[in-house]
Amino acid sequence: MPGFDFSHHNRNAALHAQGVPLPKATSTGTTIVGCIFDGGVVIAADTRATSGPIVADKNCEKLHYIAPQIWCAGAGTAADTEFTTAIISSNLELHSLSTGRKPRVVTCMTMLKQHLFRYQGHIGAYLVVAGVDPTGVGLYTVHAHGSTDKLPYVTMGSGSLAAMSVFETQWKPKMTKDEAVKLASDAIQAGIFNDLGSGSNVDVCVITPEKTTLLRNYIKPNQREQKQRSYLFKRGTTAVLKEKVITREEISKYVTVQELPSDDDVVVVEKMDIDA
Amino acid sequence: MFIARSEYDRGIKYVSSFPESRLSSTSNTPPSTFSPEGRLFQVEYSLEAIKLGSTAIGVATGSGVILGVEKRVTSTLLETSSVEKIVEIDRHIGCAMSGLQADARSMVEHARVESQNHAFHYNEPLRVESCTQSICDLAIRFGEGAEGEESIMSRPFGVALLVAGIDEDGPQLYHAEPSGTFYRYDAKAIGSGSEGAQAELQNEFHKSLTLQEAETLVLKTLKQVMEEKLDSKNVQLASVTKEKGFRIYSDGEMAEVVGRVPTN
Amino acid sequence: MLNANSPLASGPSYSFATPPNQTSTNIKQHSFNPYTDNGGSTLGITGDDFAILAGDTRSTSGYNINTRYAPKVFKIGEDDGTGESAHIVLSVVGFAADGNALKERLNAIVKMYRYQHGKPMSVKACAQRLSTILYGKRFFPYYVHAILGGLDEEGKGALYSYDPVGSYEREQCRAAGAAASLIMPFLDNQVNFKNQYIPGSGEGHALEARKATPLPRAEVEQLVRDAFTSAVERHIEVGDGLQMLVVTKNGIEEIYDPLKKD
Repeated sequence: MPGFDFSHHNRNAALHAQGVPLPKATSTGTTIVGCIFDGGVVIAADTRATSGPIVADKNCEKLHYIAPQIWCAGAGTAADTEFTTAIISSNLELHSLSTGRKPRVVTCMTMLKQHLFRYQGHIGAYLVVAGVDPTGVGLYTVHAHGSTDKLPYVTMGSGSLAAMSVFETQWKPKMTKDEAVKLASDAIQAGIFNDLGSGSNVDVCVITPEKTTLLRNYIKPNQREQKQRSYLFKRGTTAVLKEKVITREEISKYVTVQELPSDDDVVVVEKMDIDA
Repeated sequence: MFIARSEYDRGIKYVSSFPESRLSSTSNTPPSTFSPEGRLFQVEYSLEAIKLGSTAIGVATGSGVILGVEKRVTSTLLETSSVEKIVEIDRHIGCAMSGLQADARSMVEHARVESQNHAFHYNEPLRVESCTQSICDLAIRFGEGAEGEESIMSRPFGVALLVAGIDEDGPQLYHAEPSGTFYRYDAKAIGSGSEGAQAELQNEFHKSLTLQEAETLVLKTLKQVMEEKLDSKNVQLASVTKEKGFRIYSDGEMAEVVGRVPTN
Repeated sequence: MLNANSPLASGPSYSFATPPNQTSTNIKQHSFNPYTDNGGSTLGITGDDFAILAGDTRSTSGYNINTRYAPKVFKIGEDDGTGESAHIVLSVVGFAADGNALKERLNAIVKMYRYQHGKPMSVKACAQRLSTILYGKRFFPYYVHAILGGLDEEGKGALYSYDPVGSYEREQCRAAGAAASLIMPFLDNQVNFKNQYIPGSGEGHALEARKATPLPRAEVEQLVRDAFTSAVERHIEVGDGLQMLVVTKNGIEEIYDPLKKD
């Protein structure tokens, strides 16, 4: 039978009536901005990710790649911004391949709004789309419900008012690239310092017809302070309650065991970003 | 004193000669109204009421305070143990009274409540001076309120208290009057025999008095001013010490102390 | 046609915004919430002859910063008129308006106590009084987590912590407020040496626990700073400034250190 399946609706309604709450998605307080200048566009974002009042990530990336000359700053539900931009990025690339043309910012924006509208706001992605294409410079905002705006300077996220106050007092037409980068990062800093949902560093992405420059951690105004005491514990401070030795023979039943060249050589399997 | 009496009378007449005055009717005159001479008759009369009361004595020493009262056994049929002139306020404070005993009941009740309240709020015993102050705060309420509200009391209390207690400053004795004033004493006598008793205390008291010496001093002094012959039934003693707090002497203890009083 | 009572016709019976079990009724209940959470965090630690109370100075509402300097730790019973210096400190965190009201009230009571009883109020007495004040508003509580500090009758550091309705306890250390759950485990480990054992003193459960001893003042001050610089990293409502009040027999010392402002 073709059509929609509403069986889960009944199940969810029954669960909800019994007091089972819906799973809560993590919504990130954020400051993201975008601003056009003479010959290009710049977008910027803070790097704080929160869950409730807790800082989940002090240096996350909110500037997402769509196409080489199209980038997207995301606010709202972290997973939604990440997946939405990734899906649109894929589809835009396919579109570009099949048409044999460079992707356009307006196309990207249209795909995003149609995707988000279909989900009636349940995909909590709030985006700033910026880029340069054969038609020129593009800068848009896309809201979770599917509405869009085309403006010379834009802000979104919980820090949007703080950031917009900077734009409204200092923005002027036909700025140079450096002026625009300064203005955008100032707007982000206004969010970082005046909005609790935003914090840590400033990421900037500058797009011109010639090239795209991602300035990761362009400004780091919130470096962690040095601790006053050392918190190293003497070996043996923690009680060992149980000890179990798994032999090589035993473990090789489940995984492939490979001998390392020597004990001193530490093999880095995956690199983690650790601050300080 | 007789001169004073005549002045009181004149005062009332003088006041009543102003019919427009609130004071025109003697019976309506609030107890807190000054006479033209600057006296509060009701207060002064209340002091007289105390002079009619049985004698009560307090002596403070370095190790504790002794309170002693005479019980007037007006009838051989009277159960002497029902005469309560020394009462407990808290474990560390007690008081002896002279005057209208019923009035003393309200004052003691007030002091007990204040003491319990303090312990409830501050997790510490109330100080003796603070306790005395709270009694006097009640005593002064005979007047109308600051905003002219009707007073709940028709007259001042007709009783004086000797408040004995112990706190972080050591043993202390206070004398609280119906006027709402109080003073601290080393030794103090109130009631009908107070004049003679106070003179005796003045001669006999010294700073290095022991508790035992204080017991005998109190009884010896009471004996001198009592009309009846002192025995273990018509006097009562109580002590406040650091170790035992407030305690009324048992019949056995009374007999022992009475036996120690020199006969002359 | 859909039944009018079916969830489909009446729209979704649940959403992310509405709590469960309240959707079936159409009656709207209007309510006034007299409380706000102004965030921030406080902590207190005692030593042999001192007590430290500390708090950040940020005041928030939602994602906004009301001010970067709103003290949460106060001296209690200081009298400019008589030159009587305070010997009790109070920290309040939660609803700032209630915190201020509570501080003002306790301050007035401690001053009045001196006039009425002719002696400064002991920390023990003040602790009990604060409890009765809080319980006095049992059914409209002061929405605060209070910590009281000072020196006891023996001159040792004393610290009392309270719940909003007056239940209290004397402790060695306590963290309160937004970042309490972040700071308290750190204090347990570093002040009372919880989960620390003496290396080599035994095997497994026989391992001897490290005994807690009162820490020197300099060390405690370092712990306070480290606790707050860490809380600032991970809690959005903590920041801007760190205020410390140190009570010793010589009086109360105030220390202010800046914190991160993001």
